[in-house]
Amino acid sequence: MAVSLIRRLIQAIFVILAMTVIVFVGVNVIGNPVDILINPDANQAERLRVIAHYGLDQPLWKQYMLFLQGLVHGDFGNSFVYGRPALSLILERLPATLELAISALLIAIVIGLPLGLYAGLYPNRISSRLIMSGSILGFSLPTFWVGLMLIMVFAVELRWLPTNGRGATAEFLGAQWSFLTRNGLSHLLLPAFNLALFKTSLILRLTRAGVQEVLPQDYIKFARAKGLSERRIVFVHVLKNLMIPLVTIIGLEFGSLIAFSVVTESIFAWPGMGKLIIDSINLLDRPVIVAYLMMMVILFVGLNFIIDVCYTLLDPRVRLDAKA
Amino acid sequence: MTNTIVKSAAMALLATVAIPAVSLAQSVPLIIGMSTTPTTLDPHEDSSAPNNATSRHIWDSLIDLTGTSANEPELATEWKAVDPTHWEFKLREGVKFHDGSTFDAQDVIASLLRARDKPSQGFASYTRNIVNVTAKDPLTVVVETSVPDPLLLNSVSRIRIISADCAEAPVQDFDNGKCAIGTGAYVFSSFSPGDRLVLKRNEDYFAGASHWSDVTLRFLPDDGARLASLLSNEIDIIEALPADGMARVEESSDLQVINGQSSRFVYIGMDVSKDVSPFVKASDGSALDRNPLKDERVRRAILMAINRPAIVERVMQKNGTVADQFVAKGYMGHSDAVEPVGYDPAAAKALLAEAGYPEGFRLTLHGPSGRYVKDSEVVQAVGQMLARIGIQTQVEVQPWSMYSDAYANGDFSMFLGSWGVNTGETTNPTVALVATRDEEKGTGRYNGGGISDAKIDEVLAKASSTLDEAERLPLLEELSKLTFDKLWLLPMHYENVVLGAKASVRYTPRGDKYTLAYFVEPAQ
Repeated sequence: MAVSLIRRLIQAIFVILAMTVIVFVGVNVIGNPVDILINPDANQAERLRVIAHYGLDQPLWKQYMLFLQGLVHGDFGNSFVYGRPALSLILERLPATLELAISALLIAIVIGLPLGLYAGLYPNRISSRLIMSGSILGFSLPTFWVGLMLIMVFAVELRWLPTNGRGATAEFLGAQWSFLTRNGLSHLLLPAFNLALFKTSLILRLTRAGVQEVLPQDYIKFARAKGLSERRIVFVHVLKNLMIPLVTIIGLEFGSLIAFSVVTESIFAWPGMGKLIIDSINLLDRPVIVAYLMMMVILFVGLNFIIDVCYTLLDPRVRLDAKA
Repeated sequence: MTNTIVKSAAMALLATVAIPAVSLAQSVPLIIGMSTTPTTLDPHEDSSAPNNATSRHIWDSLIDLTGTSANEPELATEWKAVDPTHWEFKLREGVKFHDGSTFDAQDVIASLLRARDKPSQGFASYTRNIVNVTAKDPLTVVVETSVPDPLLLNSVSRIRIISADCAEAPVQDFDNGKCAIGTGAYVFSSFSPGDRLVLKRNEDYFAGASHWSDVTLRFLPDDGARLASLLSNEIDIIEALPADGMARVEESSDLQVINGQSSRFVYIGMDVSKDVSPFVKASDGSALDRNPLKDERVRRAILMAINRPAIVERVMQKNGTVADQFVAKGYMGHSDAVEPVGYDPAAAKALLAEAGYPEGFRLTLHGPSGRYVKDSEVVQAVGQMLARIGIQTQVEVQPWSMYSDAYANGDFSMFLGSWGVNTGETTNPTVALVATRDEEKGTGRYNGGGISDAKIDEVLAKASSTLDEAERLPLLEELSKLTFDKLWLLPMHYENVVLGAKASVRYTPRGDKYTLAYFVEPAQ
C-alpha cells in the first residue's frame, strides 16, 4: 500500500509538472495581456513600465523558471487584474463552488440512485418507463436553457425563490457558506438543482444498467435460492456490486462539477471559481488561469486516488498493491 | 365598511403622528445591478470604468466630473493655474473621513502620488505630467506639472482621495474594508468580490446625506441574470438593459427603460497607409496593385452605403445614436462645420465608379465580438450594405483578447473600433486614433489605419499645450473638422446608456455610463 502510494505520488508530480509546461506555454500564445490591462490612454513609456512590472519583458523560459521558483514556495504569482495573489483569489471563491457542487451531487445521488434502482428492478412497469424517458430530458436539455427556465418560472413568475446571487452567508471553518442560513439556502436551491439535473440522469441510467447486469448473475440467483430477503439482496448484493462503476463516475463528475460549473455560475451570478476563470480568460489574467488549471490538475489527480482507495474498500478483489 | 373607514382613519392618524420618528430610522434601500465587475476596491490600482464607478460611492475627488464631463467643485472648492505649470487647489473645510479623521492637504498629496507611483500604472495616463504635489497650507495644495497640461483638471477628477494613513496599504486592505475609508456619500459595509458591495449612508456627507440608507451594488455581468433580477423585483435599477428584455420592461407598468447618450464613439477604421492592403482584393479575387481605401472618394462611398439610422434603430434596437464626429453637441470640440454624410447607395455607387472601381472590390471587415453593444451584428449589417454597392465584403469577428492587439497594430484593412471619449473633448480621441503613430510622444497608439495628417498633428500639438479655454476651443473644433472632412475614420454611432429600472426611481444617465447611487432619486 505504502509503496504504491509513493509511486502514485511521484506519478502525480510528473503529471503536474508536465501540465505546468503545457499551461504556461498555452496561455503565452494567446493575445497580449498588456493590451487588455492597460488604460487605452497610456503612452509607450507607461506601457513598457507595465510590461516590466508584470515581468512580461523576460524571455518565456525565464518567466517559466521564475514561476517554478514561486511554485516551490506555494506562490502562483500575483493576478494582473486583481493585484493580489492568484491562489488566494481562487481559494476565496472555493467555498461557493464547493457548496454548489456538493449540493448538486447530493441531489443527484438522492434522486438518481433510488429511481435507478427502481427502474432496474421493475423495468416493465409504466412508472419505470416514465422515469427512463424523463431522464432523457435531463440529458438532452442544455443547462443554460434549463437554468433560464427555472429562473423564469420560480423567480420571475412565481417569485418563490430569488433569481440569483449567493444570499446571506454564515461563517464556518473560516469561510463563508450559504447553506447555513435560510436565505442562503433559498439562493442555493435553483442553481444546485440546475447543476444536478444532468448528473441525476447520469446516475439514474448508470444504476439501472448496473442493476440489470447484476440481477441475472449466479450469486443473486444463489442468494434467492438461499432464501435471503429481497431487501438484503437488493441493498447488499446488488447495490454493492454496482457501486464500483458508480463511484468512478460520481468521483469524476464531482471534479467536473467543481471545475466546469461555469454556465450555471454565470446564469445564477454565483460568485464561484467558474466565473472567476471565465473572467480571467477574457482578461488574459495569466497567473490566475495558470493557478486555476494547476489546482484542477491536483484536484483530479487527488480524486482519482480517492476513487482507487474506495475500490479497495468496496471490492476485496481490487488491491492497490496487487501486481498489475 | 365602517370598519375599513375607521381603520384607514386610524392609519392616517398614526401616519401623521409617526412620520418624523419613522423617517429618521426608516430604511430606504437601493440595489443597483451593475453590468460589469470591479476587480478591486483599491481606487488607484486600475482605472477601469467599473472600478472607478464603484470607488466613486466611497471616495470623492478634488473635482467632480459631471455626467457631461464638466468640472465641478468637490473636495476642492476652487482652483486656478498660477502659471502654466502650477495649479493651486483650495480644499473644502471641515470634511471628515468615515473614520472621523479630518481631511486635509496631506491626504491629497498622498493620494495623487500613490496613484502616480503604483506599480500597476493604472492611472499613468492621468498622472504622467504631475511632477510634484505640495501643501502651501493645510487647505491649499499646489500641483506642479512637467508641461502645460490643459487636461490636468480632468485627470485630477479621476483620482479618488484616500486617507493618508492608507497610502502604503496593499490592495487587500481595501478589499477587506480596512482602508475602504473615504469622504464619500457611502460608508463601506461589506465587499464580496465578484458578487456585491454593501454600503451604508454617510450621514455627515458634506454635500448632504443620500436619500438611500443602504445601497448594494450587485455585479451581474450575465444579461439573463441581470434582467431576471429586475423582472422579479429584486433590484431597483440595472445597467445595460439587454435588448431582448426591452419589450418586457416597456410593457410593465412597474418598470421603465431609461435611455441616454454615452460618450462612447464607435467608428470604422480603414487602412489608409499601405499601398497594398492585406484584406483588399479585386472583385475577381486577384490582387490589386493599389489600395482603394487611400482614396477619399472610396471612403465617402462606403460611408454613404451604410444605412446608419437603420443600424441604430434595428440592429442595435435603439441602443445607439448616429454619430458624425467624435463628440455629440454639448461636448467640447463638437464642430457644426462637419458636414453629415447621409445614406445614399445610388450616389455611393456612382462615386465608386468615379474613383475607378465600377465593379467594386473585395474586402474583409474585421470586428470584435462581445466588446461593444451588438458589435458583431453591426459589422454583419455593414458587410451586407457594402455588398449592395458592389463591395463584396466578408465579415470576420474575433474575441476581444485576440482582436485588441491586431486592430491597434494595423493588421486589418477595415475594422470596427471604438473610443470612450472620457475627457469629453476631442484631443483625447485624436491623440489615440488619428494622430501619426509616434511611440516616443505616445501618439497614435490605436491608429490602426496608419493615418498621418501633418495638419492634424500640428493642431493637436497646439491644443494639447494651450491652457486658455477660449483659445483652445476653436482648436478642438478644428480637430473634428480635419478628421471628418477627409473621413479618416467613418463615424458610426454613439452607444446609448440603456438602463432598466423600477418606476419608483429616476436617474439621468451619464456620458461615462456610471450608475451612481447618490444621483438616483425617488420618483416622488
